[in-house]
Amino acid sequence: MSWSWIPQNWSLIWQLTWENAKLGVLSAIYGLIISIPLGVIAARFRWFYPPTLAVVSIIYAVPSLALWIALIPAFGLTDTTVIIGLTAFSLCVILPNVVAGLRAVPAPVRQAATAMGYGPTRRLVTVELPLAAPVIIGGLRVGVVSSISLASLGQLIGVSSLSYLFIDGLQRSFPTEIIVGLVCVIVLAVVCDLVLVGVRRALTPWQPRRQVAIAQWTGMQRAALRRRPA
Amino acid sequence: MITFEAVTKRYPDGTVAVDALDLEVPVGKTVVLVGPSGCGKTTSLRMVNRLVEPTEGRILLDGKDIREQNPAKLRRGIGYVIQQTGLFPHRTVEDNIATVPVLNGWRRQKARDRARELLTTVGLDPELARRYPYQLSGGQQQRVGVARALAADPPVLLMDEPFSAVDPVVRASLQDELITLQRELQKTILFVTHDIEEAIKVGDLVALFRPHGKIAQFDTPERLLGDPVDDYVAGFVGFDRGIRRLSFFTSQGLSLNTGPVQSADTTVATAQASGESWILVTDGGKPSGWVPADSLAGQPGSTPLSQLAAEPVGHTFTVGTDSLRAALDAAVLSPAGQAVGVDDDGQAVGVATFDQLRAAIQAAERAAEAAAAASSQPADATTDETDNSKKRDPGQPGVQPGVQSAPSGAQP
Repeated sequence: MSWSWIPQNWSLIWQLTWENAKLGVLSAIYGLIISIPLGVIAARFRWFYPPTLAVVSIIYAVPSLALWIALIPAFGLTDTTVIIGLTAFSLCVILPNVVAGLRAVPAPVRQAATAMGYGPTRRLVTVELPLAAPVIIGGLRVGVVSSISLASLGQLIGVSSLSYLFIDGLQRSFPTEIIVGLVCVIVLAVVCDLVLVGVRRALTPWQPRRQVAIAQWTGMQRAALRRRPA
Repeated sequence: MITFEAVTKRYPDGTVAVDALDLEVPVGKTVVLVGPSGCGKTTSLRMVNRLVEPTEGRILLDGKDIREQNPAKLRRGIGYVIQQTGLFPHRTVEDNIATVPVLNGWRRQKARDRARELLTTVGLDPELARRYPYQLSGGQQQRVGVARALAADPPVLLMDEPFSAVDPVVRASLQDELITLQRELQKTILFVTHDIEEAIKVGDLVALFRPHGKIAQFDTPERLLGDPVDDYVAGFVGFDRGIRRLSFFTSQGLSLNTGPVQSADTTVATAQASGESWILVTDGGKPSGWVPADSLAGQPGSTPLSQLAAEPVGHTFTVGTDSLRAALDAAVLSPAGQAVGVDDDGQAVGVATFDQLRAAIQAAERAAEAAAAASSQPADATTDETDNSKKRDPGQPGVQPGVQSAPSGAQP
C-alpha cells in the first residue's frame, strides 16, 4: 500500500468518484421516474403488471456489458449508453416496490379517501403515493447502491468511472490503486444509502418506529431478491 | 332525507345483495340497518354515497336523484365513518379532520381551527391535534373518524359499523356520546351494525334485514322488541327481548313505598313499629344499607339503626329518569328484593317490590298497545311513528313520551 499515491492523485480520485456517483444516482432517479407511472398503471390494472414484469425481468437478466454493447451503435461510447443501461436495471428493482407499496395502502384508507370526495388523481398524489413512499424508498436504496457499483464498470466501454482505477491498477500491478477504487465505490454507495434513509425519515414522521423497520425490511428483502450481482 | 326507491343491487355473478329496497331515512333521525353478515346492509349504505352503484331503482337525497350529482361533490356533502376508521396514517389528527373542508377550498389554517373545535365536540383533548393516528387508542381513532365526518357539517352521515372494532366499555361510551351529539346536531344518520343491542340503543328506527337484502321489519326499537313480525325477527332480537324492552318504559309510573325508608338515627323500636320486613337505612337522605327486621329483635329499643350491621344497598335507580329495566335490575340485585328509588341528587325517595314492578310493567304494556292501536296502519308505522317515537338519551334511558302520558294505574 503506497499511501503517498493518494494525495498525489487526489483530483483524479475525486473526479472519478464524482463521475461514478453521477452515473449511478442519475440512473436510479430515472429508474424511479419511469417506475412510478408504470407502477401506478400496474397497481390500477392488474393485467398490466405480469407482462411488464416479464419484460423488465428479461432486461434484468441481460449482462450489463452486453446491454451497453448493444446500445453503442445508437449512442456511442457515452454516458448516455451507461445511463440507459443502468436505468433499465434500477427500474427492475424499483418497479416491483412501487407496485407493492401502492397495493399495501390499506383498503379502508383508500375507500375513506374516495368517500371524502377525492378524485382518483388527487387521491393518488396526496394519499396513496405518500403512503407507499417507505416501500418505494426501500427499492430506491437497493437501486442506487447497485447502480453505483454497476456504473463503476463504465470504464470498460470508455466511460470515465472508478473502474479506471481497477483496470489501471491491474495493468500496472499496483494494488494501492485497486484498493482505493474499491473503497471509493463502497463509501459512495454507503453515503447514498444513508442519504436515502434520512430522506425516508424526513418524509414519514407518521410511522411508528417498529413499523418502519418492518416496512423497510420487507422492501429491502423484495428488492434484494432482484438484486443482480455486479 | 334519504329515500330508497325499489333499489336492487345485483352482481354480475347473479348474487342479489339488495332486493327491491324501499326505505326512508327521515330528516334528523337515526335509522339503523341491522342484520346478519351478507344481508346487504353495508351495500345499501354504500349506495348512498355512490361507492356502489345500484342495478335498479334510485336513491334520492332530499328529493334529488344522487346520480344527477358529481360523485366527488356528492360525497363531500355526506359524512362517512367506517369500522376500520380509514384515517390517513400520514396526516396528523387535525389534518385528518380538516380533509373535507380543505377539499372544499378552505384555507388550511381555518380548516385546522375547525378541526380543533371538533376535537372538543367528540370528547377529545385538542392537545391531540398534532399527533398521528398510530399514536391514538382505538377509541380515540374512532372519535377522530367521527370528527372528520362532521368537519364540513354535512346534513347526512353514513356510519358503517363505526364502533364494532373497539372494546365493549369504549363502545358503550361512544354510543352514548353519539346519542348526545345527535340530539344536539340533528343529522340524518344511516347507521349499519350487526349488533341488535347497538341498533336498539342508537336508532330512532331500525330496519332488520333478512339475508339477501330484504327488510324483515322496519320499526321503532321498542316495537321491534315488543311486537316482532315473525320468528326470524324474534330470533334475531333475542330471547330476553321482554326484559330489554323494559328499557323503553319509564319508571315514572312506578309506585313506591316510603315505609321501609328510615334515617340512621331512628331507633330500633320505631323501626319495629313500622312492621316492614326490611328497613332501608338512610344517611343524610342517601341510602346506606338494608337491615332485616329479624336482626332488630333482641336489640335494645333505643339503639339507633346506624349501630346495626347493614347489608349493602347495591345499585339504585333514579325515579322518572331510569327505565323499568333499571328498576327491575335494582330489585333483583337487592338483598331485600326491593328496588331503591333515588332522586337526581341521590336522596332515597322510596322502594318498590316485585309486585309493584309487575303492576308498572303491565300498565306500560297496556299503554304501548294503546299507542300502537292508535296508529291507523301498523304496516306504515315507519313514517307515522317517527314523530312520537322516543329518542332515549344516555342519561334518561326510560323516557318515552308515548308511555309517560299513560295512566299509571299501578298504585296499590
